[in-house]
Amino acid sequence: MKINRNKPDVFPKVNALLMILICFITLYPIWYTIVLSFNDANDAQMGGIYWWPRVFSLKSYSAVFANASIVNAFTISVLRTVIGTLTHVFFTAMTAYAFSKKRLIGRNIFLAIGTFTMFFNGGLIPFFLLLKNLGMLNNFIVYIVPTMFNFFHLIIFTSFFRGIPGSLEESAMIDGANEFRTFVQIILPLSMPVLATIALFHGVWNWNDFFWGVIFVNDEALQPIGTYLYRIIAETASSNMKINMPGAISLKAVNSQSIKLATMVVATTPIVLTYPFLQKYFVKGVMIGSVKE
Amino acid sequence: MKNKLINVFALAIFFLTATLFAGGQQGDKDAAPAADLDPNVPGWTLDTSPVEFDWYLHFSWFPNQWGVDPLSQYVTEKTGVDINFIVPAGSEAEKLNTLIAGDQLPDFITIGWWEGFVNDMIEGDMVYALDELAEQYDPYFFKVAVPSRLGWYEREDGHVYGYPNASYSPEDYERYDVPANQTFLVRKDMYEALGKPDMRTPEGFIAALEAAKKMFPEVNGQPLIPFGSHEFGDQGSDSFGKFLQDFLAIPYEEADGTMKDRFADPEYKRWLKAFNDANNKGLISPDIFIDKRAQMEEKIAQGRYFSMLYQRTDFASPQMTLFKNDPDSVYIAVPGPSNSKLDDPTLAAVGISGWTVTLISKNCEDPERAIRFMSYWMSEEGQRDFYYGVEGVTWEMVDGKPQFLPEAKEMMDTDRPAFDKQHGANQTFWMLMDNPMFEQWQPAPVEPFKQMIEWTYPYTVSVSQYDNTEPTPDLDEGIVLGKVKNMRGKYIPALVTAKDSAEFEAVWNEWQQKKADLGYDGVLEYQSEKLEINKAKLGL
Amino acid sequence: MRNHMDQIPLRKLSLKSRIYHQRYLLFMALPALVWMIVFNYIPMYGIIIAFKRYRIIKSIADSPWVGLANFKELFTEGDFSMVMKNTLGIGFMRLFIGFPLPIIFALFLNEIKHAGFKRTIQTISYLPHFISWVVLGGIMMNWLSDAGLFNEILMKTGIIDEPRFFLAEPESFWNIAVFSDVWKELGWGAIIYLAAISGISPALYEAATVDGANRWQKMMHITMPSIMPTVSIMLILAISGILTTNFDQILVLRNAVNQSASDVIDIFVYRVGFKMNRFSYAQAISLFKSVVALILLLGANQISKKTQGHSLF
Repeated sequence: MKINRNKPDVFPKVNALLMILICFITLYPIWYTIVLSFNDANDAQMGGIYWWPRVFSLKSYSAVFANASIVNAFTISVLRTVIGTLTHVFFTAMTAYAFSKKRLIGRNIFLAIGTFTMFFNGGLIPFFLLLKNLGMLNNFIVYIVPTMFNFFHLIIFTSFFRGIPGSLEESAMIDGANEFRTFVQIILPLSMPVLATIALFHGVWNWNDFFWGVIFVNDEALQPIGTYLYRIIAETASSNMKINMPGAISLKAVNSQSIKLATMVVATTPIVLTYPFLQKYFVKGVMIGSVKE
Repeated sequence: MKNKLINVFALAIFFLTATLFAGGQQGDKDAAPAADLDPNVPGWTLDTSPVEFDWYLHFSWFPNQWGVDPLSQYVTEKTGVDINFIVPAGSEAEKLNTLIAGDQLPDFITIGWWEGFVNDMIEGDMVYALDELAEQYDPYFFKVAVPSRLGWYEREDGHVYGYPNASYSPEDYERYDVPANQTFLVRKDMYEALGKPDMRTPEGFIAALEAAKKMFPEVNGQPLIPFGSHEFGDQGSDSFGKFLQDFLAIPYEEADGTMKDRFADPEYKRWLKAFNDANNKGLISPDIFIDKRAQMEEKIAQGRYFSMLYQRTDFASPQMTLFKNDPDSVYIAVPGPSNSKLDDPTLAAVGISGWTVTLISKNCEDPERAIRFMSYWMSEEGQRDFYYGVEGVTWEMVDGKPQFLPEAKEMMDTDRPAFDKQHGANQTFWMLMDNPMFEQWQPAPVEPFKQMIEWTYPYTVSVSQYDNTEPTPDLDEGIVLGKVKNMRGKYIPALVTAKDSAEFEAVWNEWQQKKADLGYDGVLEYQSEKLEINKAKLGL
Repeated sequence: MRNHMDQIPLRKLSLKSRIYHQRYLLFMALPALVWMIVFNYIPMYGIIIAFKRYRIIKSIADSPWVGLANFKELFTEGDFSMVMKNTLGIGFMRLFIGFPLPIIFALFLNEIKHAGFKRTIQTISYLPHFISWVVLGGIMMNWLSDAGLFNEILMKTGIIDEPRFFLAEPESFWNIAVFSDVWKELGWGAIIYLAAISGISPALYEAATVDGANRWQKMMHITMPSIMPTVSIMLILAISGILTTNFDQILVLRNAVNQSASDVIDIFVYRVGFKMNRFSYAQAISLFKSVVALILLLGANQISKKTQGHSLF
């Protein structure tokens, strides 16, 4: 259009301003959380802290790190997230590649079966009984195998794979590669944006999840950081039945808000830091650079 | 072909897990013949070889672990029993559901007596009868168990499956000063500045709130909240569902001994109307319907409430903060809402049911050691260990009586979580604590809590007979009761915030009608029958 | 663009040779089928408790049948119409506001040319996703209170003269729920679109620039069509999920006085099902929800196929 040529383009500036505003309103609550976690717990109770700690204190953090089990919980979470995410992404992507081929025998039946799983499940108890019969309770493997596949992620993979030009695969097939080799050697390297997306989705879920650590594991040594964190932040939420409790017990102070927030900061920082590393796969057009349409 | 594949895959998973799965610990126990056991010899002394028990706590907030503090280490060394606590984070009901449905109950289970799960576990034949275990392995149990508690928890089949903690029999109420938790509180300095108004009548109550709001419109630059209550949930608020009735001395039963709907009493209605009037005069802040406990504690710490109908034990930390800033700004207990005859309040405190019950699951591989450990904990020796902790670390003998070391006592009064981790004594582990037994050891309460505790002594009543009368959710009556309770969360706020008397009346009538339509009478009938049985058990 | 292999007329071959032909593809697809049968389908027998009266101490098989009693109870429950109204109200608001915003955000973010700036914004915008609603709910309660941040801002700017208790107003609840959710998930929700955008060939933009297309034209004629398959998939799923609300969020923000606007199906299941240990009733409600979702999915998928040419599979 003509406007562009005649008038100076204000859009980049307006856009940048808008983005900065969005950043501000998203960043502020994070800042607030961090500020409160560094404030003295008793003083924080008085409220009115918005921008900067009023009484600076590292007590909450030393309380968080004083608990020996937090190191173990971190180890479990890292193992769970790394192993769980790698197997999930590979397994789901591999399946999705096969499903992206319209010629696959029984494809429609497979898809119907898969779609159904997105909506219907038998509830927690039958699932628990299944894991019990498979011997997966109280076992690290419960974090990996039962979450190895997800049909929603398959749909996303499939739609991405369908956008990859067939010419690339064909030339590989002509060179004598089978579909599995084509998938590993050609398709996976071309699919970094979607692989990174699903890895992020599943990795973040894995890291944040507390429920599996509560329900399917009894052993404290197998509990991930998510469970540990939830135990601390959900404490007062579940304390309303204390009404029957004799006085002396409830006199024990619950964890202060500062400790809760400090625990949250400690527990989430590692996973938050992974995003900038994955980001390079989003920013460049990795795939098409090598392909001529 | 598909089936074969499934089998192959399932087998593969099976072998994979079988190799990864570290087999559960096998307790090698030699079944001791029961006949020649001496009831005077504590069973736990016969075998102190190491054994580990999994112990489920239905309380997600329990913050401690076994074996970290000197006390639990000492107990493990003494009895050989090591404990692994299983504490579900936030999701108690789901956890216990799966443990029950999957037959995966750990060795011990400690749970509030009011939970339907207790009945489930007993009916599902998943827990041992403690009396049978005791007869077989540890007759000493009967020496240390309190007969009235066993009698109370005896089921129709003549067996006892769970033993309570913090249980007070009606006789204990005559023997000791039992404190209640329910208090009507005011901020001391404001109350005194207003000339200690009488707040027992609706008129006096409203006048006092009005005067307080006029005299102290703001606290630290934020508006004063004239009245505070416990947080509202789906089933209403404890302040309006239990405390208010207790203060109005509304009985639990009718004159003919049948159960009464404490939410239908005219005195209760009169006071709800008073709160409604206060609301329409702008004296009830919407805060009380919004805030959860964390927000309330923050506001208490700021001293923003003038008055509260609140559990005195639920704001220890903010009370301490206020006390440190200005001892005059603390909350004190004063006479609160009363019925039209100005009767004394009847504050229900812990009864014979206690607080939790502890059960031993049939999955326990070593029930012999389990029941013996339970007897140890219930015995005076065990109670003293768990109360005082380790000699030299937490207490010492002074004039032939155990006494907490000054540093330990100081820490106990000021930093309770740290005390629990460093000492593990004084009810850190409360699963089988025997509060009446503690009475002989308990140090006198200190300010800023002393006044509140002592204020409740004269008004505390035992309501043991009304415990455990509610129908469990598997019964039709239980479903109705659940719905009736859920209506409270809707109607009580609607009554307090009604625009005028006409709306108040309409809402009140609708509520009473709905309860009747659901068949609440049937629930009360069920409860009346249970009440008869309870009275017989207690000899009332 | 389509894979040429798809067009080989394999159907003319016998099943046996087709299987042989596809042995590698089948080897890649079948494990997932087995996985779904084991982890999704075997436990699905639990659905029948919706037609039973189940107690955890009995097996599902031993529990007595009650027919449609649980469904009947649900549809005659006094609160049911209110619950549906709130669920749909919040659901549609999420669909009309919460669904497009991450797309717009992704498109605008894509217009930022400075790589470092772009990455920084991207990282910051996704941070709130990591604050648990349990914690965030507490923070929001503080900010929305009478002496909180929002009232302070509104009073200082003169928009209101009296502090408002936002969480006590049923009429504000849908807005609070939807906008706080949008805010929290904006950056997170944009990730999938950013991934789709990064798959677009730079050559397309170059060609358009040569043709003299401006920024808007490129956005509308290159970026949008390229991410349309992803948008369609997400929209179809969003439509089918209209009855699903953010349970954790609503659980912490709801209270006694806003419940006429905050009682949604997921809360209802929790309140009358799980909290009262009525598994069968809870299962009946979720079964109802699942059936509605499946129907919506199939419907939306058909419409999308016909009008857009994009479908889920």
